[in-house]
Amino acid sequence: MNAFEWVTPKDLKGAVSALSGDSAKVLAGGIDLLCEMKEGLVTPSHVVNLKSIAGLNQMVGRDDLRIGALVTLTELAESESVRSQYKAVAEAALSVGSPQIRNVGTVGGNLCQRPRCWYYRDVAIECLKKGGDRCFAEDGENEYHAILGGGPCHIVHPSDLAPALIAFDAKVEIQGTSARSLPLLDFFVLPAVNWGQENVLAPNEIVTAVTLPKATAGWKSAYYKFRERESFDWALASAAVTLRMSGNTVQDCRVVLGGVAPIPWRSKEAESALKGKTISPALAEAAGKAAVTGAKPLKHNGYKVRLAANVVRIALLRAAGLEEA
Amino acid sequence: MSEEKKPELSRRQFLKSVGAAAAVATVGGAAGLHKGHPETVGSPASVTPQGVGERTVSLNVNGEVHRLLLEPRMTLLDAIRDRLGLTGSKRVCDRGTCGACTVYLDGKPIYACLKLAVDCEGHKVETVESLAPDGKLNAVQQAFVNHDSLQCGFCTPGFVMCVNHLLKTNKSPSLADIKNACSGNVCRCGTYTRIFEAAESAAKAMREGA
Amino acid sequence: MSEWNDRSKTKYVGQRVTRVEGPLKVSGRAKYTYDIQLPDMLYGAILGSPHAAAQVKSVDISEAERMPGVKAVHVVAGPGTNLRHQGQDVAAVAATTEQQARDALRAIRVEYEVRPHRVITQVASQDPERMEPFPALSDEAQTALRAADATIEGSYSVPVRIHTCLETHGCVVRWDGDDRFTMWCSTQAVHGVRGGMAQNQGVPAGNVRVICEHMGGGFGSKLGPGSEFAVCAALAKKAKAPVKLMRDRHTEQLTTGNGPDAHARVRAGARKDGKLAVIAADCFGTSGYSAQWGMPFPYVYRAETRAVRSRPVRTNCGSDAPLRAPMHPQACAITEQVVDELAYALGMDPLELRLANTDGVRKQQFELGAKLFGWEKRNPKPGSDGGRFRRGMGVGTSAWGGGGGPGSRVELTIHRDATIEVKLGTQDLGTGTRTYVASIVAEDLGVDISQVRAMIGDSDFGYSGASGGSTTTASVAPAVKTASLEARRQLFEKAAEMVGQPAEELDARDGKVFVSSDPSKSITFAEVCSRLGVAGIVANGTFDASLQQGGVAGVQFAEVEVDMWTGRVRPIRVLAVHDCGYWMNRLTTESQIIGGVIQGIGMALLEERKMDENTGRCLNPDLEQYKLPGPWEMPEIVPHLFETHQKVAGIGEPPVIPTAGAIANAVFHASGLRIRHLPITPRKLLEAMDERV
Repeated sequence: MNAFEWVTPKDLKGAVSALSGDSAKVLAGGIDLLCEMKEGLVTPSHVVNLKSIAGLNQMVGRDDLRIGALVTLTELAESESVRSQYKAVAEAALSVGSPQIRNVGTVGGNLCQRPRCWYYRDVAIECLKKGGDRCFAEDGENEYHAILGGGPCHIVHPSDLAPALIAFDAKVEIQGTSARSLPLLDFFVLPAVNWGQENVLAPNEIVTAVTLPKATAGWKSAYYKFRERESFDWALASAAVTLRMSGNTVQDCRVVLGGVAPIPWRSKEAESALKGKTISPALAEAAGKAAVTGAKPLKHNGYKVRLAANVVRIALLRAAGLEEA
Repeated sequence: MSEEKKPELSRRQFLKSVGAAAAVATVGGAAGLHKGHPETVGSPASVTPQGVGERTVSLNVNGEVHRLLLEPRMTLLDAIRDRLGLTGSKRVCDRGTCGACTVYLDGKPIYACLKLAVDCEGHKVETVESLAPDGKLNAVQQAFVNHDSLQCGFCTPGFVMCVNHLLKTNKSPSLADIKNACSGNVCRCGTYTRIFEAAESAAKAMREGA
Repeated sequence: MSEWNDRSKTKYVGQRVTRVEGPLKVSGRAKYTYDIQLPDMLYGAILGSPHAAAQVKSVDISEAERMPGVKAVHVVAGPGTNLRHQGQDVAAVAATTEQQARDALRAIRVEYEVRPHRVITQVASQDPERMEPFPALSDEAQTALRAADATIEGSYSVPVRIHTCLETHGCVVRWDGDDRFTMWCSTQAVHGVRGGMAQNQGVPAGNVRVICEHMGGGFGSKLGPGSEFAVCAALAKKAKAPVKLMRDRHTEQLTTGNGPDAHARVRAGARKDGKLAVIAADCFGTSGYSAQWGMPFPYVYRAETRAVRSRPVRTNCGSDAPLRAPMHPQACAITEQVVDELAYALGMDPLELRLANTDGVRKQQFELGAKLFGWEKRNPKPGSDGGRFRRGMGVGTSAWGGGGGPGSRVELTIHRDATIEVKLGTQDLGTGTRTYVASIVAEDLGVDISQVRAMIGDSDFGYSGASGGSTTTASVAPAVKTASLEARRQLFEKAAEMVGQPAEELDARDGKVFVSSDPSKSITFAEVCSRLGVAGIVANGTFDASLQQGGVAGVQFAEVEVDMWTGRVRPIRVLAVHDCGYWMNRLTTESQIIGGVIQGIGMALLEERKMDENTGRCLNPDLEQYKLPGPWEMPEIVPHLFETHQKVAGIGEPPVIPTAGAIANAVFHASGLRIRHLPITPRKLLEAMDERV
């Protein structure tokens, strides 16, 4: 880890101005940042500690639920209002890493974490994402890589929280020299748009909060994450689904996949397959298959197509309370 | 979606132009080894430490406040091990994947290897050494001994910390609760099932003792 | 000729005795090498080669030497050195803080001439320079295959696995003058390291002291002085200060050894009665750049015609090191699947086929295990469960030596204050050595175990061998026993005068020495001790071959559940029936078996070193992508100690051997899918399902 200047701004304005320096990085929980610094992937001259700023760790709910960027994953998973109104979000938060990570890791950090691609994480490999001119996964060891939305870089987005939040139409609040807010879905960008980073944040911008609208609160929902190593691992594929039901009929829904694309992948195809239909195991299976429409697997990750379809299927059955015993 | 934006030119990429073709220099451990082709070159990473040097940091560890002169880049783990001599917390993966360095920060288990010491000012840190301050093992530790929940013992303090925290908040944990509490920890010798037994028996002992 | 105590009458030996160092380990007070701190100690760090194959052209350390805190820089691989794998030692630094040492590594400038590499065994095996091709199958084997009633053919593999000791390899070296040093190191052989280090540092063996109080895992990779030991000694000498050099996790995974892979193209045939008629196999694997590779194939089961060829494959990867039962788990996993497939090809119960090809202890174990496990409840048709979650059972076996050997020297002292010291230069890998050493003595002298201090892990104590091959207990325990019996003899002689009865009629228990026929005639142990001279009682012990016996068999039964939607294999239960000879400590013996099974689960389902052919780099030299089993991968594990004789035997290695094969067979039984390449990941099961459609 390189030496750096430790900066503890008192407010957001101070943080933003600290970030305008040469190579400053924001530290929230620090889980991902410290890993990146230890590998030498980033060598910031300044590390800007957001925890010195009051209010970022608050969760406030009136109509919407506003979740501060520094709320920890444990706090989110244990929040009564999240558990009752946005169940998939609580499940997603609980599926992140391990207890030790959830006690430190934050909502903002989880959304902004960098990919786990092993070519990206090896500092000696000058891949596309690190400014090189090729993606080593494309003709390399790509069993954990993207089947949807890949190219020219083939990472998968590692966030568990993002698919669940997107499934509830979350918005993200961003503070730079000015403040802005956008749908969380639009926060993430495909490599075809910008292979250097996974989201739209400018270097001096900070995610300050995520807002969950009342409109989707209380929808039936579930987050299912499938890991190769069940104890503690990244998603091979995950799915967040939300359902607004009228009796047994799906009035409206969201299906968002994790671990299969460079961004949290909202599947309109799966949603279309569900809308207006009577929920059943057969419908869940069909929607799962629809969710992987257009998948373009690489040499070693074709298995993810069947897996992702079934992961969606399982999430739907769980949300609908139809899971087999 | 967002406007099209080219990736920023990284410092690494900028420096990459240093290299030449056939027999080329790469700096040890440095970035930029494999660009496009393995035979191409690397580049000097930043060598000189930047930013400030040591500063005084107050650390509250096991109820005692220590004023330490340390660099901001020092992790909590290295501070408690190398500076305070509290070596019960182990460094194994150094990347938050094994749990051997588990300590409590304000009462909750965290990985000390992924926390900067400077970031712990104003918080309470407790290490495995705090569980038996006078040398008398607590119920969890005693259960680990009784059930032989350790072999080489290098992962053991981390597991003890996780189980101990679980039993503080859950008097009658299920097997699933125990597995969840330990899911961020790794044992290579293979003691997991013994650890589960210890956790169950410690919970029982604590319930009966209460 | 001595005998072990009758276990129905013992208090410690053979009972469930908690480990004597347990309290230190659970409280964080046990000091491992990583925890050693000495006054003025410096921190070392090693720079590894970024390339899989390169020649060093130049090394410039001038800038590193000027870095803050740097006290010594040492070049390991000077100009002209050929580097054979990523991570190979190039240079090292000692500095006041660890961060300074790492900063300085980044300032070392090395010029490499990059050479072509091969890092994936299958790829390298196509290159005749790296693997000699196999000739055609012999006529004899072909004839035997044609004559068989059922045959199978397939390619099988087990990948390279990494020891992943939680305490990385490393040491602390303190020079006490120009030709004398003390070192603390994480090792499986304190005496072996002393000899090796004396030689490589050019000092008399008696001038080197090696200490290893506790060590955080070895599994075969810490049997000798690792390359970092010599580097550390060189740095400490140069810096004129003690240096601690522990490998970081990346170079630990890359350079300190691994368990080689095994690939086999197999054709096998059996007769109607289940007898194995022929096994033909072309086997290969890599031990890195060396040209040594082989496995005991076919494992345990013998065919009438055996046509097995083996080839090492030279790759630019780290060298191998013995990994808990070297090459046995690989050979077992492949063989057990082959015989399983033959059984199904014959329409025979897989257990029945094994019974037709085994005898003696192993056959008894299969029969007992089947009964205990409920094998008869098994549905004979694989994959027939239907539905999403499917259960299956499988079985595997192990064979191991595990006997002891001469050399251990034990010195036992009974002090006048009734405390006892037992010293010997063995070491505890986490198997419980200290505990049985203390148990044997406490048992024979009739004292509380807390009165016995077992002192090990120091080359200043009498010689004891390396802890490898499951030989430690069978080598050490007999030597401790002879010392213990000699001490007892001397104690009884002294007590005889005091009780007024002949020594032969005395016994000792619960802190008393008493007359066997009349326990009321007694004297306390403490009283006898108080009458001893200043020297106390000193007794020496050496190996007694009659107390040990090698040759242990084992069988394991596994039940798994396969999720047909996701390809997840969940181990449900494992029964491990192992011949343990006369066990010293039931508790720690069971722990060894459980640990072996757990490592076997890792091998079956998760562990694999991943190499990238394009860059020559290892993609998972860490604990994130090199996946070890965790709490949620745990089945119910039932160790069953199978006793065949009253001699001590080692049990460290055998229990890791059968697990993966048993699980692979259980997966097939559950799902109807035969995954011939370990680990059995969701990916492979899902691919097999895709292929079946």
